[in-house]
Amino acid sequence: MSSFEQFHIDFYQSNYTIEDQEEGCNSYGSDKNPSINKILKFLVAELGINFEHIWQKTLTVLNPMKPADGSIMNETDLTGPMVFCLALGATLLMAGKVHFGYVYGMSAIGCLAMHALLNLMSSQGVSHGCVASVLGYCLLPMVLLSSAAVLFSLQGTPGTVLALFIIGWCSLSASKIFTSALAMEGQQLLIAYPCALLYGLFALLTVF
Amino acid sequence: MAAPGAAGGGRSGAPAAEWGGFEDNMQGGGSAVIDMENMDDTSGSSFEDMGEMHQRMKEEEEEEAEGEAGAGEEEDGEFLGMKGLRGQLGRQVADQMWQVGKRQASRAFSLYANIDILRPYFDVEPVQVRARLLESMIPVKMINFPQKIAGELYGPLMLVFTLVAILLHGMKTSDTIIREGTLMGTAIGTCFGYWLGVSSFMYFLAYLCNAQITMVQMLSLLGYGLFGHCITLFVTYNIHFHSLFYIFWLVVGGLSTLRMVAVLVSRTVGHTQRLILCGTLAALHMLFLLYLHFAYHKVVEGILDTLEGPNVPPFQRVARDIPVVSNAVLNTTAKAIALTL
Repeated sequence: MSSFEQFHIDFYQSNYTIEDQEEGCNSYGSDKNPSINKILKFLVAELGINFEHIWQKTLTVLNPMKPADGSIMNETDLTGPMVFCLALGATLLMAGKVHFGYVYGMSAIGCLAMHALLNLMSSQGVSHGCVASVLGYCLLPMVLLSSAAVLFSLQGTPGTVLALFIIGWCSLSASKIFTSALAMEGQQLLIAYPCALLYGLFALLTVF
Repeated sequence: MAAPGAAGGGRSGAPAAEWGGFEDNMQGGGSAVIDMENMDDTSGSSFEDMGEMHQRMKEEEEEEAEGEAGAGEEEDGEFLGMKGLRGQLGRQVADQMWQVGKRQASRAFSLYANIDILRPYFDVEPVQVRARLLESMIPVKMINFPQKIAGELYGPLMLVFTLVAILLHGMKTSDTIIREGTLMGTAIGTCFGYWLGVSSFMYFLAYLCNAQITMVQMLSLLGYGLFGHCITLFVTYNIHFHSLFYIFWLVVGGLSTLRMVAVLVSRTVGHTQRLILCGTLAALHMLFLLYLHFAYHKVVEGILDTLEGPNVPPFQRVARDIPVVSNAVLNTTAKAIALTL
């Protein structure tokens, strides 16, 4: 495994992402427009937006039982989190609540607080970007909750149960990624609880 | 006026020369070792000396600029847009000021804002946190021997945040409207204000009463005491019975208070001191729980009153009969105002 990783590291900077993306693009390109290839290549080369990685991370979040890859934290990718925050704001808007400011404010303050806590609890440090990236990706189930809020009111018992389930899902995914990346296996519950409090705030915003 | 000025200039000349030497050391060495014989107790006045040096260099600059006013323009043309000697001096002074300021700021930052100071207080296992949570509800019996208090900040911090979340949930379910501020700000201010403020006050009292307790231990003790508050509020915000609240207040609140009181008593000598400390802590702790219940749940109480019995609803609409006399007064006043306008 280590030799495989070393092999990857040798090629990572120069060839890996572009060739991988090109292969993906060619498989798309044969079906669709060749101009999509150019757009994707541009996104990867200039802006660092890699759709394969974004999709892999989204799948990791959606399946909390799947073991997380520690190398996820090596890339600070804020595209996915931004899209999910916008999606949350949009679904809240569809439910009649204009809370974009609250979403951004709570995300920012939550990232700062989690960054401080993780730096205090882990032996190796963690950067703001990584914390923001992980917390943003794990916000995806909350988007599902706010979509449900569009269809029916969450202020009864079923709504509360659903909200608690979604909060547990989000915090489990986030704590799983944090513990695998920061080597804090015995402390997953200790990290899950503050994540649950943060996502609980988002759930309060969605439910009420 | 000239003599003191000259003397001041002469005085400033000598320390400026010393500080010039200090500057040479810092620039030439480039090492991280601080030369303590230059630092000593006057490091607080280094700003004033730097200010004097800066002033002196500015004055020199101005004199040179006046002398070279004519030549400077030619030099500007010769140096292809560079500002010549005056610009260089200004840049050097600015650079030096920036570097000295940055160095001192980073030194102060690494001393005071170093978050690693708190690192040992967050080194816990989940089992330990669970054990301490349960222990916070069990009063100790042995008060003749100082009881051990875990100096840990993770559990208390999470309990304070939990209390904030419970308060927010309670305020949202009861549709509480905060007129001057936000719900979140009120909840955070209340909970953190209580934890930090009462801990500081109790630490001050403990210092007066000669109790053996540190600030971190006080924070930890009071923080874990909030576990009872969390349980009580969580239950009574969802199940609305007055009598249930009072039972929880006495039993759960009382147990956590007794635990804190017993620990403090074991660490204090003297009856009067014990009485002062424990009476204050018990009063503040129990009254805070009462306050949290009653301050953030009024609308629910109003609804309960209307549901429970034939009480008068809180808002009653009574028809207002405006008497004829006041109507006439109103009309004449309106006419008078219209005339004046």
